[in-house]
Amino acid sequence: MNCLNTYLIIGAALFSIGLLGVLQRRNLIGMLIAVELMLNGANVNFMAFNRFLAPEPTVGQIITLFVMGLAAAEAAIGLSIILALFRRLHSINIERAQQLRG
Amino acid sequence: MMSLFRDPILLAAALGTSLPFLSMAIILIFTRHNQRLSASISVGSVSTSVLCALYLLITLSHAGAPIQYEFPWLLADDIVIPFGYLLDPLSLLMLNIVAVISFLVQVYSIGYMAGDPGFSRYYAFQSLFAWAMMSMVIAPSMLQLFIFWELVGLASYLLIGYYYEKWSASQAGKKAFVMTRLGDIGFFLGLIILVLGFGDLSIVRMNEAGQAHNIPQYLLTISALLIFGGVMGKSAQFPLLTWLPDAMEGPTPVSALLHSATMVAAGVYMFGRIFPFYSMSPEAMGLALAIGTVTMLLSSTMAMATYDLKQVWAYSTVSQLGFMVMGLAAGGYFAGVFHLTTHAGFKALLFLCSGIFIHEYHTNDFRIIGRQGGRKLLIPMVCMTVGALALSGIFPFSGFFSKEAVLGVLANHPNKLWLFAGLLGALMTAYYTFRLIFFMLFPKSAGEVHGEHDSHGAGHGHDDHDKEHHGYIFWTMAVPVMILAAISCVLGFSQSSLEHFLLGQGTVPAQLAASHGTEAHAVAHEGHGIGHYALLLAAVTMAVGGILWAFFEFGRKRATQEGFLRLFPKVEQLFAARWYMDAFLRRFLDDVIYSGFTNLFTRNDRRIIDGGIDGICFFTIGSGRLLSFLQSGMLQYNLLVMIAAVGVVVLYLLLA
Amino acid sequence: MTSMEMASFPVLTAILMSTIVGLLVIVFIPDGRDKLIKQVSLAFSAIGLLLSLWVYLNYDVQKGGLQFVERYLWVKGLGIYWFNAVDGINAPMLLLTAVVLFTGVLTMWELEVRVKEFFAFMFLLVAGVYGVFMSMDLFWIFVWYDVSLFPMYPLIAIWGGTRKEYGGMKLTLYLLAGSALILPGIIYLWVQGGSGTFDLFELQRIGFTPHVQRVAFVMLYLGFGILAGVWPFHTWSPVGHVAAPTAVSMIHAGVLMKLGAYGILRLGMTLCPEGLSYWSELMALLATVGIVYGAFVGLAQTDLKYVIGYSSVSHMGIVGLGLSTMTVNGINGAVFQMFAHGVMTALLFSSVGYIYDRTHTKMIPDLGGLSRTMPVASAFFIIAAFAGIGVPFMASFWAELLVFISAVKTYPVRGILAVSGLVISALFMLRVVQKTFYGEKNEKWEHIPDVPFFLATPRIILVGTILFFGMFPRIMLDVIQSAVIPFVASLSV
Repeated sequence: MNCLNTYLIIGAALFSIGLLGVLQRRNLIGMLIAVELMLNGANVNFMAFNRFLAPEPTVGQIITLFVMGLAAAEAAIGLSIILALFRRLHSINIERAQQLRG
Repeated sequence: MMSLFRDPILLAAALGTSLPFLSMAIILIFTRHNQRLSASISVGSVSTSVLCALYLLITLSHAGAPIQYEFPWLLADDIVIPFGYLLDPLSLLMLNIVAVISFLVQVYSIGYMAGDPGFSRYYAFQSLFAWAMMSMVIAPSMLQLFIFWELVGLASYLLIGYYYEKWSASQAGKKAFVMTRLGDIGFFLGLIILVLGFGDLSIVRMNEAGQAHNIPQYLLTISALLIFGGVMGKSAQFPLLTWLPDAMEGPTPVSALLHSATMVAAGVYMFGRIFPFYSMSPEAMGLALAIGTVTMLLSSTMAMATYDLKQVWAYSTVSQLGFMVMGLAAGGYFAGVFHLTTHAGFKALLFLCSGIFIHEYHTNDFRIIGRQGGRKLLIPMVCMTVGALALSGIFPFSGFFSKEAVLGVLANHPNKLWLFAGLLGALMTAYYTFRLIFFMLFPKSAGEVHGEHDSHGAGHGHDDHDKEHHGYIFWTMAVPVMILAAISCVLGFSQSSLEHFLLGQGTVPAQLAASHGTEAHAVAHEGHGIGHYALLLAAVTMAVGGILWAFFEFGRKRATQEGFLRLFPKVEQLFAARWYMDAFLRRFLDDVIYSGFTNLFTRNDRRIIDGGIDGICFFTIGSGRLLSFLQSGMLQYNLLVMIAAVGVVVLYLLLA
Repeated sequence: MTSMEMASFPVLTAILMSTIVGLLVIVFIPDGRDKLIKQVSLAFSAIGLLLSLWVYLNYDVQKGGLQFVERYLWVKGLGIYWFNAVDGINAPMLLLTAVVLFTGVLTMWELEVRVKEFFAFMFLLVAGVYGVFMSMDLFWIFVWYDVSLFPMYPLIAIWGGTRKEYGGMKLTLYLLAGSALILPGIIYLWVQGGSGTFDLFELQRIGFTPHVQRVAFVMLYLGFGILAGVWPFHTWSPVGHVAAPTAVSMIHAGVLMKLGAYGILRLGMTLCPEGLSYWSELMALLATVGIVYGAFVGLAQTDLKYVIGYSSVSHMGIVGLGLSTMTVNGINGAVFQMFAHGVMTALLFSSVGYIYDRTHTKMIPDLGGLSRTMPVASAFFIIAAFAGIGVPFMASFWAELLVFISAVKTYPVRGILAVSGLVISALFMLRVVQKTFYGEKNEKWEHIPDVPFFLATPRIILVGTILFFGMFPRIMLDVIQSAVIPFVASLSV
C-alpha cells in the first residue's frame, strides 16, 4: 500500500478532479478552488517522488513549499480580481465575463 | 595670450575687430532697454575700431612684408582652422574703409533712427556687422574668411529685415539670405576642393604662384569658378543680382553701409584677396569678366526705369560692382580695388543723402521729393550732387580717377568689346544718375508729370519727430554726409600714393603685376601714350554726354521729364521688371521647388512611406480580425482547447 | 585596453543612479504635491548635470582611451559585465543628455496634469538613455535601450497633443521593430564570439569573419538606424515629435535620436568594420537622401513641430553621412553634430512649447507677428533656427563643415548633393521664422506676456551651450577626437 504508485494515483486523481472543476464550474470561486486542487495534485507528486526516488535531497519538499506559497499568492490575487469583477458585473458567473470576445 | 599685450600691432588688430562683438553682446544682454546707452556703446566701440585701423595703417604703411598672426582655433585631424589677422596693404585699406564708413553710418543713424522702437536692436546688429566684416577683411585664411563671410550674410539678413512687421522687408531679407547662400554653396564647394588639393587655405600661400602646380589645372579652374559663385552671391552679380535692389527695404543707413559701400563689396574684395590665385586660371577670369559686364549693363538699364530714390542707387551699386569685377577680371588688380575704395565713399554718400530726404519727406519717390522742395535742403542736395558727379566720373571727383583706371585696364584687353561695354556703361551711369538729380533740382508741378503708378510711398516705421529735436537730429545726419562728400572730392588725388601702397611693397600682387606687364597702372600711371588720351577723352565724353542727355530730357526748362524710354513701353517694362529675372526666379521656386520636389516628396512621405507602414499595420489588424472568432470570450473553452492541445502533444510524445 | 584603470569613485553609476533614485523619490512623494515633485526632479537632474559636467571636464584628453571605468562581472556563465566607461565619444553624449534633461524639467515647470507620473516616466526614460551611453557591455546596452523606449508610449499617449495615440503607437512600434533587429544582431555576435562575453572590447578583440560582420552590421544599422531617423525609416519621428509633449519632444529629438546614431557607431562600426565598409555606400546614399528629402518635406509643413521634426531628419542625415565616410573628420563631425543638433532641437522644441502653451496653436498660418508681442521668446526660436541653418559660431556649423569636407572627399557626388541641401534648409527655416514671428502684430496674441526670466532659463542655458561650443569648438572637438583617431585607425586594420 505504501508504495509510489498509490501516491501517484492520488495525485493524478486530485489533478483530474481539479481539471474537471476548472473546466466545468461556472462559479469563479469554484474554479479557484479547483485550481488549488490541481496544484495540490502536483504537490503530492513532488512529495512522493522525493520520498521514494530521492530520499536524501529535499528539493521536492522545497518546491512543494514554494508551490504552497505561490498558491497563497495566487488565491490572493485571484480573489481580488474576482472581487473587482463582482463590483463591475454583480455576479461571479464566468459566463458573464465575456468582454474579451474577439 | 601674453604676446597680445606686448605687441601693439596685434593688440590694435585684436581690439579693433573684436570690440564691436563685445558691444553687440552687451547691448543684447544688458542695455536693450536703454537706447541712448546702447547707441553710445556701439558708436564708442566702432570709433575705437577706427582709431585702431588708422593706427595700423599708419604704422604698417611702410612695412615690407605682410604681417600675419595665427592661433589655432579648431584642429581636426588634417584640417586646421586658424583664427588670426593678416595685415597687408589690401586688408588694411579695406579695414579702414569698413571702420570709417561704419563709424559715419552709426553716427548718422543716431539721428535717422531716433525714436524707433528697435533702436537698441539696430545698434546691436550694426555692431554684429562691424565685427563680422572687419574680422572677415583681415582673415589670414580662406576658411576664416568664409566663416565671417557667412556671418556678414546673417547681419545683412537681420538688418534688411529690420522692419520685420513689414512683409516685404522680411521677404527681402529672406531672399537676400537664400540667394547669397546659393552662391556660398559654390564658394564652400570650391573651398573644399582647395582644402583637399592644397591642404591649407592660407591666403598668402594660395597666392604664391608655385602652388598651382600641386593640383591639376582643371581642378584649379573648377575651384576658382565655384569660389566665384560666392562673389556672384555676395556682390550681386548676374544672375544672383535681384536680391540687392530688394534689400533696400532695410533702413537707409543700412543700405548705405551694407548694401552699397562695404558688405556687397566683400565679394569684390575676396576676388582681389585671392587675385593671384584667380590669375592662374584664365578661364575663370574670362567668365568673371563676362559676368561682370552683363551685370553692369543689365542693372544700368534697370536704373533708368525706376522712380524710387534708393532703387536707383541700388541698381547703380550693382552696376558699379559689375564694373569692379570687370576691372579685376581684366587683370587690373589696382584698378578694381581703387574703384571699390572710391565707390565705397561716394555710394555711402549718395545713400546717406537720400536718407535725409526720405527722413524728411517720408517717401522714396524722387519726383515727389523734388516737387515738395527737396532742393531746399541745401547740404544734402549739394552733397548728393557731389556724389552723383563722382558716380558719373567727372573730374575732379574720386569716381573719375577710378573709372579711368578700370577703363584703362579694359583698353589693354585684347578684346575691345569689353572696353565698349565699359564706355556704354559709363554713358548710362551718367544718364540715370542725372535723370534723378534733375528731377530733384528742377521739379515740374504735379500737373505736368504723368503717372506715378510705381511710387513706393512712405512707410518707414518712424513717425514725425518733435521740431525742437530737429536741429540735433539733422546735424547728426548732415555731418557724416559732409565728411563723406569731402572724401569724395579729394580721394581721387591719392591715386598714385594708394597705388604705391597697394602694389609697391613687394607683396604678391605686385610681383604678379610685374610679370603680367599689361597692368592697369602701366597705362594709368606712366603710359601716357596717345591711346591713353584718347581713352580719357572717350570716357569724359561719355560721362558728359550722359549728363547732357539727361539735361535735355529732364533738366532744361521745357523738358517733358518723360525720358526716351516712354517711347518704347515694352522696353521700359522690361527694364522696370528687371528683365523678368524675378519672375523667372519666382516661377522656378513655385514650379520646381514648391510644386515640384516639395510636393513630390511630401506625397511620397504621406502616401508611400507612411501609407506603406500603415498598410502593414492594417494588414496585421485585419488578419487578427480574421482569427478572432477563435476568441469566444468563454474562459473555459479556451482552457479546454489548451488542455486538449497539451494532451495531443503528450500523446504524440508517448507514441513516438 | 592597457590604459584602462578602475575609477576610485563610480561616478558613472552615480549619474545613472541620479535618475533612478530620483524616480523612486518621485514615486514616493504623495500625490498633489506638484511643486515639490518639480523641485525634486530639478534637483536630481541637476545632480546628473553636475556629475556629467564633472566627467566631461575631467576627461583626460591627452591620455585618451577609456576613463572612469567600472567593470564588474555580473553573470559569469553568459559573460555579462557591469561595465561602464567614458571615452571621447560618449562623454559629450552624457553631457548632452544631462543638459537636455535639466532644461526639459525646467521647460515642463508649468505642467499641471498628472505631474508625478510624468516626471517619473521621464526619469525612467533618461535612465535608459544614460545607461546606453555609458555602458560598454552589449547586454546592458540592449537592456537600457529598451528601458528608454517603453516610457515613450505613455508619455506621448497621456500627455501628448495632436493625434497622440496614433503618434505614440507608431513611434513605439517603429522603435520596437528596431529593437527586434538589434537583439538578434547582438545575440548573433555573442554566439559568433564564442558565447563567452558581452564585453564590447573583448568582442572587438576576438574579431569576426567578414561574412558575420556584414550580416550583423546590417542588422545593427537598420535597428539603430530606425531610431536615428535614417531615411526611409524616418516617418515615426515627425509624427512622434508632433504628438509628444514639449519635454518629451526635447529628449526625444535631442537625445533619443542620437542614441540610434551612437548605437551604429559604438556597436555596428566598432564590431563590424568590414561590414561597415561593405555597407558604407548605401549608408551614404540613405543619409544624403535624408538630408535633401527632409529639407524639402519640411518646406511643405504647416505645423511648427512637423517642421522641426523634418529638420531633425535632415540634420540626422548629416550625422549618418559623417559616419559613412569612415574618416577622422567625418566621424568627428558626426559626433559633434550629434551634440550640436541635440541642443539645437531641444531649444527649438522648448521655444515652440512656450508658444504653444500660450497660444494653443502651433499651426504656422494661425501664428504670425509674434516678435512684437514676445520678442524674447521669439528670439530663442530664431537663434535656434539660425543654428539649424548652419550660421557660424553656432555649434552645428563646425560639425557640418567637417562632415561636408569629408563627404565631398569620400563620396563627391553625394557630398555635393548634400551641400546643396543647405540652400533648401535655409529656405525652409527662414520661411518658418518669417511666417511665425515676422509680419504685422497679431491682435489675437496681444494679451500674451513675454516669457518671464525663470521660464526662460532653460532656453538661456541651451542658447548658451550652442554659442559656447560655437565659439570654442576645440573644447568639444579635442575630446571627441581623442577617441575618434584611434577608432578610425582600428577600422582600417
